[in-house]
Amino acid sequence: MKKSLLRTKKKKLIPLPLMVIVFFFITGFLPAGKGEKTGTSKMEQPVLSTKADILQEASDMPVYGNWKTFTTKDGLPANKVFCVRIDDDKVYAGTKHGLGVYENGKWKTYSVKDGIAHDGILSIDVSELTGDVWIGTLGGLTRWSGGTFYTFTQLNSGLPNDVIYSVVCVGKDVWVATGGGAGHYNTYTDQWEIYEERNAPMHEPWTYGVCAGDNKIWIAAWGGGVIEYNTKTKKFRDYVDPDEQMELDVFPDDGVVHDITTGVSWADGVLWVATYFGLSWYDGAHWKGYFDHDSGLLSNFINYVKANGRVGWICTDSGLSSFDGKTWVNYQKNKNNSSGKILIVNGPKLTNGVKTKEFPSKTSIAHNFVLGVDFQGDDIWVATSNGVSHGVKIK
Amino acid sequence: MKSVYKFLLIFLLVIISGFQLSGQEKGKKKNYANTPDEIVPYERFHKPYLNFFDTPQLFTGPGRNKPDPKGLKEVRIGFLGPLDSTELVPQGRQMLNGCILAIEEANKNGGYKGIPFKLMVHNDFGLWGAAANKVVQMDDEHVWAFVGSIDDINTHVALRATLKLEIPMVNTGDPDPTLTETRIPWLIRVISDDRQSSYALAEYIYKVKGLTRVAVIRVDNRYGRVGIKEFREASLRMLHPLVLEIRYREGDTVFAKQIQRVIDSNPDAIVLWANAEAGGMIIKQIREKGITLPIFGCDRLMSPEVLKIAGKDAEGLVTTCQYNPTLNNPKLKAFQKHYYERFGIEPDVFAAHAYDGMNILIAAIRKAGLNRYRIRDVLTDLKTFQGYEGITGKIIFDDAFNDIGSIWMTEVKNGKYHFFHSPLDTLVVK
Repeated sequence: MKKSLLRTKKKKLIPLPLMVIVFFFITGFLPAGKGEKTGTSKMEQPVLSTKADILQEASDMPVYGNWKTFTTKDGLPANKVFCVRIDDDKVYAGTKHGLGVYENGKWKTYSVKDGIAHDGILSIDVSELTGDVWIGTLGGLTRWSGGTFYTFTQLNSGLPNDVIYSVVCVGKDVWVATGGGAGHYNTYTDQWEIYEERNAPMHEPWTYGVCAGDNKIWIAAWGGGVIEYNTKTKKFRDYVDPDEQMELDVFPDDGVVHDITTGVSWADGVLWVATYFGLSWYDGAHWKGYFDHDSGLLSNFINYVKANGRVGWICTDSGLSSFDGKTWVNYQKNKNNSSGKILIVNGPKLTNGVKTKEFPSKTSIAHNFVLGVDFQGDDIWVATSNGVSHGVKIK
Repeated sequence: MKSVYKFLLIFLLVIISGFQLSGQEKGKKKNYANTPDEIVPYERFHKPYLNFFDTPQLFTGPGRNKPDPKGLKEVRIGFLGPLDSTELVPQGRQMLNGCILAIEEANKNGGYKGIPFKLMVHNDFGLWGAAANKVVQMDDEHVWAFVGSIDDINTHVALRATLKLEIPMVNTGDPDPTLTETRIPWLIRVISDDRQSSYALAEYIYKVKGLTRVAVIRVDNRYGRVGIKEFREASLRMLHPLVLEIRYREGDTVFAKQIQRVIDSNPDAIVLWANAEAGGMIIKQIREKGITLPIFGCDRLMSPEVLKIAGKDAEGLVTTCQYNPTLNNPKLKAFQKHYYERFGIEPDVFAAHAYDGMNILIAAIRKAGLNRYRIRDVLTDLKTFQGYEGITGKIIFDDAFNDIGSIWMTEVKNGKYHFFHSPLDTLVVK
């Protein structure tokens, strides 16, 4: 008779306490795999994926689908699309090789030949006051007004630097974030003001993003966190990571998650801050930090952020995330075809059994390296490294 | 004991020992940038919520499938450095020379598949924020990658434009620790940074020499501010907070006020974070005051200019240095010989690291082909060039693509710099 491992020669059972100890030792004390944390759930595969299921899971969040992608084959100047900006029925796409304007179903290209400062177009905004289009390029700031292009550079104006990472129009004023500081242009007086580390609380003179809201200008200062400029009091203040360390974050909710900030956007009383290390959210009193390991955020590497009402749209190197403080709705393209998926996390953090639910999508954004986003009524436009995509709200 | 109990006992022992081994292996994992345990931020108080550089940042954008262009007559590589309008011109020239020598040698060895490499040279000083504009120019010139720069502000400005334009960047001269802590996956650095210098100095001053009260005189610019930060924080965490940190302005030549403040703070050592010229003057004026305290300094004080200005007063000065030019390494000796023959001067630390960095870049282009994305992939794969034996020594990249290889120390004896190992050398991954 063969001996059982669990029985002695006299066929007595091994003492139960010993078996329990062995069992718990094996099952209970095995270390979790890398990246897994208590309360963090793995992806839950979809069982049903009707529109109703998706909308129910998304709760109050808008969900987009029916994606259509535009590339050079459709007339886009280049597939590398740095930014996208909507102006009523026009779509402006800033690409590596010029400005693409989509109107009446067709793309038209504007470039250096037409008078734009440089073909590399990083940022665009439209003045609500005048309808002028302000184009931030790799070689200066161009104002498109009344069919004419006029360019500001370091040599012909008070522009801080010719590389314009971000531009925003606020009434008569235009603000830019550049490689040499933030610039403020008063279109009435034709005066420029430059803000950098010598006259503003910036650690460094470099800026990467600028937005307006709540009578304030918010500047994403590379290495200096977020700079707030109060347009009424004309005073600055800064928001930096309290732990003062570049390599770590001690507490996630104690301030901006990192001093290297890449974008800012303000709406509905909330400031959204993009970094290459995670997302920060600030309601004027409290900061919250979100990371890819503890929330629905697709990646900590965030290229751009835009607040649209209560929802923040986060452009990452792994897809497009959206979040309203309660629910995450994410959009990712599948690797080897044009289909994609919608990932929904019903909870701000991946704790207490909160799970990611995945819904397949026949269409998807052009690429997961997302660089910009804007809205056109119920439609969304997404700039990526491999084309610009148009989606419609699922109802 | 019954056999089954023996089995279970052995089974438990194996599991327990496995856990112990696992724990030891975890313990062996190096801190970020080889930071000694006692210097890790907040180590004594709170475990950080997140360490950002436990894994390398990937680049997930498209572009790797673009084929090599046809009909090229030259393969362009950019150079960005201080060549005009700044006190860093001598260092910039040395850096340029190092790149030129590497390019010329590569072209003698066939260039890229028979096509010669061509250096596209750009000065990063002049117009405000010029570095960003120069990177745009290099993109317009269709460079495949570039080497640059030395000044920390200009290098940061260039790096940001690099990310937008997706050009691989090899830095060989900027020791600012924050440069590679921006998480931009288009940059590698082939020179030890001020974090490594600070750790070596702190270990040497507090542990080897047993000193406890350090006063710092530093330049009042970004180099001084960012450079001294790691030393200041290391001192604090080693329970020897600085007794004084005082600044001087760039261009100052008289340092009486700073030296008096040092005397008043009653230190047992002085640390200087300064460029060579100012450092030499400070040392001389300290000794003229009759102060005999030991003086330590950053790597920029390992310079003939310091010896020239301070003369015999430089005796005993201890500095860090990113490599040891006196090593009897045949590759290093050949480089020094060829460099002197080509340019008529001795190579400095910027020339040597530029030579290594450019050689790494050329090897990456040859391996990856003419595609920026694939060149980036090779540069940052942490395999191809991990442990690269350069003329400056073995280059070890961490997950931030930063060189954390050995750093050296020097002491001035009889008017010459004598090199010795950093006390932290044993921490370096071999």
